[in-house]
Amino acid sequence: GDNRGAAKASSDLIAYKNVNDLPPPRELMIQVDQKNEAILLPIYGSMVPFHVATVKTVSSQQDTNRNCYIRIIFNVPGTPFNPHDANSLKYQGSIYVKEVSFRSKDPRHISEVVQLIKTLRRHVAARESERAERAT
Amino acid sequence: MADGHLFNNISLGGRGGTNPGQLRVHSGGILWKKQGGGKAVEVDKADIVGLTWMKVPRTNQLGVRIKDGLYYKFTGFRDQDVASLTNFFQNSCGITPEEKQLSVSGKNWGEVDLNGNMLTFLVGSKQAFEVSLADVSQTQLQGKNDVILEFHVDDTTGANEKDSLMEISFHIPNSNTQFVGDENRP
Repeated sequence: GDNRGAAKASSDLIAYKNVNDLPPPRELMIQVDQKNEAILLPIYGSMVPFHVATVKTVSSQQDTNRNCYIRIIFNVPGTPFNPHDANSLKYQGSIYVKEVSFRSKDPRHISEVVQLIKTLRRHVAARESERAERAT
Repeated sequence: MADGHLFNNISLGGRGGTNPGQLRVHSGGILWKKQGGGKAVEVDKADIVGLTWMKVPRTNQLGVRIKDGLYYKFTGFRDQDVASLTNFFQNSCGITPEEKQLSVSGKNWGEVDLNGNMLTFLVGSKQAFEVSLADVSQTQLQGKNDVILEFHVDDTTGANEKDSLMEISFHIPNSNTQFVGDENRP
């Protein structure tokens, strides 16, 4: 399948239907909810979900002070290799969250999160492109 | 009841995470004290300009906006607390709390609303998240369409959370008409 198909399908993906479907509040840290295909980000004391299909890339980095950083880049319309798709036309006028960066106290947790997001993202992208292909 | 309500396990949310504490709502206003002492928040009734209720996972959140633009978020109210407090606020402050809804769909596209110090990201007119512009140390324009907000860092950053937000950027397509040519955008 091509990228267009996957991007189009992903516009209809929903992480949670109801507020109480979110996993029980735990420690404020980035979480990956495999079942609901969501990543949860701690923003101002709340866990904010993003469907993994909105994620374009994820990477981590460590500085000399043993600080660890994670950067998540989301899909936005109009960037190279991500041409205006059905999604961006449908939601014309929207503002997009493009990128977030977090500092973490726990490098091991961050590398685990990066791996989990990458795996989940691949899995969802493969499934969606297969679905798009079957539909044509 | 007439003299007020006391709630245990109410946390104050903010940039550094959440702090557990105790909240007292009385005829003069609102008083929140951090568990074990330390931080306290005292709001005089006369300074309250707006109140909001929002259902968050497994509990309820009270938003208190005060005169000088500050905005406090208290989490941990049961459904029955919401009803009794709504009555109390109406009777003692003459303010009816507004109901807000939380977006949990996981979409990264929506609208940005600026109100006082708060930047709210809304998906389908439901709130996805809020950040305070008072905590932003720097804003940058990247290219023609991206705005980056950098949050300031100090010793207290991440005091109550494992992972701390450092930076967030928004992509504003040319098709957006809300912030066209507005030099004051975030």
